[in-house]
Amino acid sequence: MFRFQSLNEDCTLEEEDEGPIEEEDEIDQFNDDTFGAGAIDDDWQEEHKRLAELDQLRGGPGLVGGGGMGGESDLGGAEDSSSARLPPAAGNLPLPSLNFSSSSGLPRPDVEDRGGGGDLAESLARLILDADPAIAGVGAAERPGPPPSLSALQGLDRSRVLPQPSPIPHPTQPHQHPHHPQHQLPPGPSTSGLPPSSMLSYQQQQHLMRRGTAPMGQMNSHSIWENNMGFGPVSLTPGLVTHMEDSPLMSIIKEVGLPKQPPQGRNDEVRDLSERVPPPRSSSPVIGSPPVRAVPIGTPPKQPMSHIMNHQIHHPTPVHVRAPVQHRYPPPFPERLSPNTLLNIANSPLCRGPFPPGVGPVLSQIQRAQLLNSQVAGFPRGPAPPLLPGGGGFRPFFGGPPPPHGHRMGPPPPHGPLNHAPPIRHNTTHLHPQHRRMLTQRMQSRGGDRGRIGGDRRSRDPYSNLMTQKEKEWVTKIQMMQLQSTDPYLDDYYYQNYYEKMEKRQERERDSSKKEHTTKLITPQVAKLEHTYRPVQFAGSLGKLTVSSVNNPRKMIDAVVTTRTDDEEKREKQVWNKRRQILYTVEKMYSLLLEVQDFEKRFVQAPEEDREALLEQHKTNTMQLCNSLQEKEWDDRVSDEQCVMIMSVRKGKRLISRLLPFLPPPQAAAIVMAIARNLPALAKKDKQDQVLCWLVEPVSAVIQSLSSSALTDLLQELQGNEGQLATVLLNKFGVTLLYLILSEGERMQSSDPNCQLMDDNRWTELVFSVTRELLSVPSSSLSPPLFTPPNLLSLFSRYVDRQRLELLQDKLQISALSR
Amino acid sequence: MNYVPGTASLIDDIDKKHLVLLRDGRTLIGYLRSIDQFANLVFHQTVERIHVGKKFGDIPRGIFIVRGENVVLLGEIDVDKPCDTVLQQVSIEEILEEQRLKQQAKQETEKVKMQVLKDRGLSVPKADNLDEY
Repeated sequence: MFRFQSLNEDCTLEEEDEGPIEEEDEIDQFNDDTFGAGAIDDDWQEEHKRLAELDQLRGGPGLVGGGGMGGESDLGGAEDSSSARLPPAAGNLPLPSLNFSSSSGLPRPDVEDRGGGGDLAESLARLILDADPAIAGVGAAERPGPPPSLSALQGLDRSRVLPQPSPIPHPTQPHQHPHHPQHQLPPGPSTSGLPPSSMLSYQQQQHLMRRGTAPMGQMNSHSIWENNMGFGPVSLTPGLVTHMEDSPLMSIIKEVGLPKQPPQGRNDEVRDLSERVPPPRSSSPVIGSPPVRAVPIGTPPKQPMSHIMNHQIHHPTPVHVRAPVQHRYPPPFPERLSPNTLLNIANSPLCRGPFPPGVGPVLSQIQRAQLLNSQVAGFPRGPAPPLLPGGGGFRPFFGGPPPPHGHRMGPPPPHGPLNHAPPIRHNTTHLHPQHRRMLTQRMQSRGGDRGRIGGDRRSRDPYSNLMTQKEKEWVTKIQMMQLQSTDPYLDDYYYQNYYEKMEKRQERERDSSKKEHTTKLITPQVAKLEHTYRPVQFAGSLGKLTVSSVNNPRKMIDAVVTTRTDDEEKREKQVWNKRRQILYTVEKMYSLLLEVQDFEKRFVQAPEEDREALLEQHKTNTMQLCNSLQEKEWDDRVSDEQCVMIMSVRKGKRLISRLLPFLPPPQAAAIVMAIARNLPALAKKDKQDQVLCWLVEPVSAVIQSLSSSALTDLLQELQGNEGQLATVLLNKFGVTLLYLILSEGERMQSSDPNCQLMDDNRWTELVFSVTRELLSVPSSSLSPPLFTPPNLLSLFSRYVDRQRLELLQDKLQISALSR
Repeated sequence: MNYVPGTASLIDDIDKKHLVLLRDGRTLIGYLRSIDQFANLVFHQTVERIHVGKKFGDIPRGIFIVRGENVVLLGEIDVDKPCDTVLQQVSIEEILEEQRLKQQAKQETEKVKMQVLKDRGLSVPKADNLDEY
């Protein structure tokens, strides 16, 4: 048989490969971690190797076992259901089914041996028992009863199985069984067609060993029957399973197996036998068992068994893990089977999958072996998609329902209802524990949600409150978030102003008539939290990990602000042309000015505790503004040069006009002085722009706040040296400024008769000289002022005679008219 | 009276009967069940009301989700207030027929108008550039 050969090859290979296997173990462990237990048949190779070794050592009893097939197939028939659909408790355990009977039977050689009785076998059994107390313990443990978790299963099995005779038939007399119709050991197959040794379960092998050279087929079948029928319920594995969990067991087995060196000759014998074996199919049931079904189910491959063992080993408490999961996840597919069940299926019906029922069993067995191998290897190859489910931990993903047992091969299993009881379905067993936990949590939380929602629906309108309070709050919050602002005037200037206006109007209206005031927008009171972005850093990570969010948008450019030293700045400035330098200064001052301008609003907005700091800030800003106008060498003195420089550009003139109101009076006055002093120069540069006039308003405010002496000083400055006044009079702003000064002086004089101006000769002299100048200037060259203060005439009347006054009036009138 | 910003102010209107006018000119009446910040609306027990002249008809629409951008107008309907008796409710078929007739008539006039304008050498913007209401 091909099968046999391939197995042999396997064996030799693996024996050679001892070394690497350990490494593979590690790898398997990793796989286990990654995919969850059961995803990969961890130790299958090792197990396979061991079993193969056993086989070889024994010299092929397994190989011979044609009878085994028959028997197994029978078992399969009988156990079909049980093997295919595990009773719930058995799910995680090796099947009670024949396929794994070996495992169950293993520990109990002493019991079984009696019947079959090869001397060798007996001695071996003894050996085993003696050799390791653990095994003996297993046997003992089994007998008393199954562990609680399994009891149900066992009960079932027992009910089903017990009635059947536990007969260890005489190896040579398969026909002795006829009185057990259920067993229906097909004699033909038993003697003939044989699963290669590798197909035999360990137990079977044990039996074989015990029985020595006895016809393998029969022995196999017997052993199987023993397991199932006689010990079935008890041996069902409870003990076995528990002990299987100890990995030492495997080594024990190995150890035990090694000593039993069957005569080499046997092997040949066996081989011959197997070759002679007619296809099991032909071995139609002497006893009347359904042959077809029986055949394929028969021999359990080692791999699955080992798989199960491993499974157990890696999941000492599989039941605990799975049981809860089960309840939560009803199996999507009713037919979905537990891993173990699937394994069984792999052993039996699965193999049939690729073949039409008509195909000979031998073939199917070969096929099965191949398939199983591939399956075990983790990647199903070949023609057997149905095998997939049996292969690894991912069964459920592929999981079409495996074909029901016997649906092809024979009549439905006798114990219908029992079998139909859904096997344990570990739909989630393939998942990583962590994943499973997550699913569970999600499930629970979902359940919780449902309950909550259900509870909410109590009201007149059954559909009311579909939007829960939480959701409403969420919507509100999201809208509020958009209105959150630390600087409302900056973020939403028009809105703020509009509401200011509205409020003022409302107050006015409320005073007159008590009107219902309009709706007001509720704005969030919570200040925006400052989000400082801290890049995530992992130890050993290369580069920066960025997590972008609303608060930390992804940085396109990592712009770094570097502070430059003054030297650098100066050097740079020198490179610039003068104009750029001026503009730069103006820009800097503007930003300061804007800050200063915003101060009031911000001060009102700011909470009490912040006002102090704000005030400080304001002061420093103002100071900075002043400083920028002052000469560095002399504190407190407004630099003419700086002033003129700034005012040589249009922006600068506007800046000064905006700046004046915010400066402290002394500085403001100093600036006005500087302006007056340098008016000719400024006027010359202003010819194009004509923006000096913007200065009138702030300057007049400053002039009005001046003291009389300061006013005199100002007039003096304006008059300047010889000829300056003439040029001033050519300029609109100059004339207006002059008028403003004179008018202010007059106001002072008229309002307060004892004004110092009266006593001050300087003022009088200045006014005289101004008057003279005004009279001498041709009216054509006298620039029309922006406005003519009405009290100018009364001023002049104090200093000039009537004739000149008229002349002056003429000129002023003219200018006033032309205005 | 104060109100919360944006569509959140609609939260008070939830579970009340509302009329909404959509951008395409449809009128829906139903119970406002849910809203979000985009003024997407969920209506329950919705009817689409068609007005033609003094007649109107309701077409039951069930649950209606309106994308916020399509809302032209939304207002609460006072259920307790007696329905305006000036209008007369007719069957769906009738109102659909009325609507069809009205639209036909409208198209006719449009056509005539276009023709007249064309005769006078004036171009008229295409009809689909115009809002229907």
